[in-house]
Amino acid sequence: MKTMLKKGAAALVALVASATIAAAEYPADDKITFVIPYGPGGGFDTIVRSFAPTLESILGTTVVPENIPGASGTRGGQTVHRAEPDGYTIGIFNIPGLTVSEATSRDIGFSLGEITWIANLAEEKYGIAVKSDSPINSVADLCALGRSIKLSDTGGDSTSSITAVISFDILDCPITNVTGYSGSNDTMIAVMRGEVDATLKPIGSLAKYVASGDLRMIFTLSEETLLEGVETAAAIGHPELAKFTINRVVGGPPGMDPAVVAKLSDAFRAATEAAAVTDWAQTSGTTLNFKDAAATRAMMDDLSTFYLQYKDLLSQ
Amino acid sequence: MGFDALANAFVELALGGNLLYLAAGILLGLSFGVIPGLGGTTALALIIPATYSMEPIEAMYLAGGAMGATSFGGSVTAILLNTPGTAPNAATTFDGYPLARQGKAGLAIGASAAASALGGLIGLFTLLLFIPIARDVVLSFGPAEFFLLTVLGLAAIAVSVRGKLLRGLIAGGIGLMFAFVGFDSISGDIRYAGGINYLWDGIPLVPTLTGMFAISQMMELALKGGSVAQSGKDEKFAITGVGEGVLAVFRHWPVLLRGSAIGTIIGAIPGLGGTVAAFLSYSSVVQTDRDPDSYGKGNIKGVIAPESANNAKDGGSLIPTVAFGIPGSAETALFLAILVLHGMDPGPGILMHREREVYGLIVALTASAVGASIIGLLLARWLVLITKIDVGVVVPVVIAVSLIGVYVLEGRMADVALTVVMGVIGYLMIRFDYPRLTLVIALVMGDIAERSLHQVNLISDGNILGFMLDRPVSVILIAAIVITFLLPTLRRVMAGRRPG
Repeated sequence: MKTMLKKGAAALVALVASATIAAAEYPADDKITFVIPYGPGGGFDTIVRSFAPTLESILGTTVVPENIPGASGTRGGQTVHRAEPDGYTIGIFNIPGLTVSEATSRDIGFSLGEITWIANLAEEKYGIAVKSDSPINSVADLCALGRSIKLSDTGGDSTSSITAVISFDILDCPITNVTGYSGSNDTMIAVMRGEVDATLKPIGSLAKYVASGDLRMIFTLSEETLLEGVETAAAIGHPELAKFTINRVVGGPPGMDPAVVAKLSDAFRAATEAAAVTDWAQTSGTTLNFKDAAATRAMMDDLSTFYLQYKDLLSQ
Repeated sequence: MGFDALANAFVELALGGNLLYLAAGILLGLSFGVIPGLGGTTALALIIPATYSMEPIEAMYLAGGAMGATSFGGSVTAILLNTPGTAPNAATTFDGYPLARQGKAGLAIGASAAASALGGLIGLFTLLLFIPIARDVVLSFGPAEFFLLTVLGLAAIAVSVRGKLLRGLIAGGIGLMFAFVGFDSISGDIRYAGGINYLWDGIPLVPTLTGMFAISQMMELALKGGSVAQSGKDEKFAITGVGEGVLAVFRHWPVLLRGSAIGTIIGAIPGLGGTVAAFLSYSSVVQTDRDPDSYGKGNIKGVIAPESANNAKDGGSLIPTVAFGIPGSAETALFLAILVLHGMDPGPGILMHREREVYGLIVALTASAVGASIIGLLLARWLVLITKIDVGVVVPVVIAVSLIGVYVLEGRMADVALTVVMGVIGYLMIRFDYPRLTLVIALVMGDIAERSLHQVNLISDGNILGFMLDRPVSVILIAAIVITFLLPTLRRVMAGRRPG
């Protein structure tokens, strides 16, 4: 019995030692594949490609961004989920898009709960904009139209569309979500054409059209004032609306070595502080918001619970 | 301001290595165009990572070179092998291939080169004229106009398949059914995907087109044997035909102008693209010609119409880009992706903030449209020899290259499998005489038609017709649809009255 225990203990020590050595060596000369679940040029692609060179210099190995587009970001997610949990395949995830898909029981081919979360890189808040010469100045004006508010969006499952459905349900104002526009730019041009009353989009996307004088921001889904003179969620007594954000979350396959995760997470932390990345964030209007592995996991759990309570509304 | 920027862009082209980037782009575009399955989108997608280390303006010359050259490259295979090199060249096969079979491949290639170059120039010239009012143009095309344009396209399909209306409608119907497979952007539901993950994004166009045209055509050729050119024993005729082809374009200048106009307009509508532009241009020339029966048998106007539209659409697709920084086509989407990759954020201020890059691209496209055609004309002498090669050699090469091309695009084996399936369907359609392009056009337009109709319904609170009649562009389009339907009948009545 004793010998067995001893052997077992020795095996355990050896296992831990080998794991520690593996983690200490990580990353060896192998390249790290960074999966992007969308095609080149979009928001997910840009953030990964902006981080990659800085990550390379911090980790001392090659980081290769790889676009695996398809099925609303699920194909890229599945690729990461299937990969060896050795730290050489990581990916950025379509969050909260996939969270909502799971909450509404759509099969995404894997379970988000199994993913090893590594870091949250950035976060973006939403805003609501109207045509610049519109008589509408606030959310209260929108709700007082006396009819269903017409909003433009890309698809019924897009995160901005989901945010619009839940937010206006909380505010108790009926909306008609005119979906089917081919990109967020098109949804804003729809507002300019006057075929819809307003659009709810990430503030960064709206900012371009606000700067050009085509649109006017009337509301931000935030607690603090983000733009001078623009009403916030907190100001109208609904601070819970600030919960809706777009996140840029990095994860890896299930069962990654915690030491490797910590190393990657630290590398991402250093990258979000590096000048190359902060400069890029400033020019592109991205709000960097680093969260380590534990905080990211907690945030993901939080998001699941948050969206699960709207399951019935979203399944309609 | 615009003309200064344009002049600067021309000067800049001559500086440093910019001409080299342009030439590399043209060669890449031509080769990607010639190979079925590979097209402008693939070329640009592959260029994107390579531009990471370049200056944005250099990337523009490379991308513009490739973008402007693919459609002419694609017409070469369409004419010589009845296999469109890129999707928009499908309509060129109708008359280009019969010409090749008559040993007049040189004539067709010459006409295609001249029509491509001139169509491209007209499209870009129109773009320059439209830049000051580009915003108004984009704002006057909403979901109602998009819907009516697809109806116009479907109407053109219905009347273009003269003599086999029922077969055309069946093929179009199947195309519409294909279009509705996958993710429904309105309800968020997955439709008709049968639990297959691959079908979530719908039935993709490139594998469908490559299967329908390249694979099926190779199956047909393999079973027939011999070589493409049946009466091409006199090689000298084929070579001298090139110059005659170029002249034919000038002789039929109304066809060129109309094709370029159709190309520019369709190009400006996001989602429709060159395939629809070329097809509409082709069907409009057939519909309005005094001798519609001469088409499909080797009428040179049947080459000029689609090829001029096909290249003019590049200029048109930049109208929404210069107005709001939104893409008018898959290629301009990738052009914007290159800007994003270089830390720029395209938006409504694109022309103000990125004038150098935008005009750089316009100049690159202009130079490429002309350059590709000149290179094409120089090579025509050797290219026509392809039609004399035994099919035992042509068939395996084209099949292998097409399947590799389809695989390269997204790196998915499922695309290759779909190409083969579509190849078999396409072959059956050839055998039983069903129009394949009708199916493909319906596949392109089905999704847009459904989506925009749904949007109009929501926007107008159900009063669709009333909403449309309030919009001038919609009214014009409705009139065009009515004319399209009435034209064949009117012509019959007129013909009946004519003595003899």
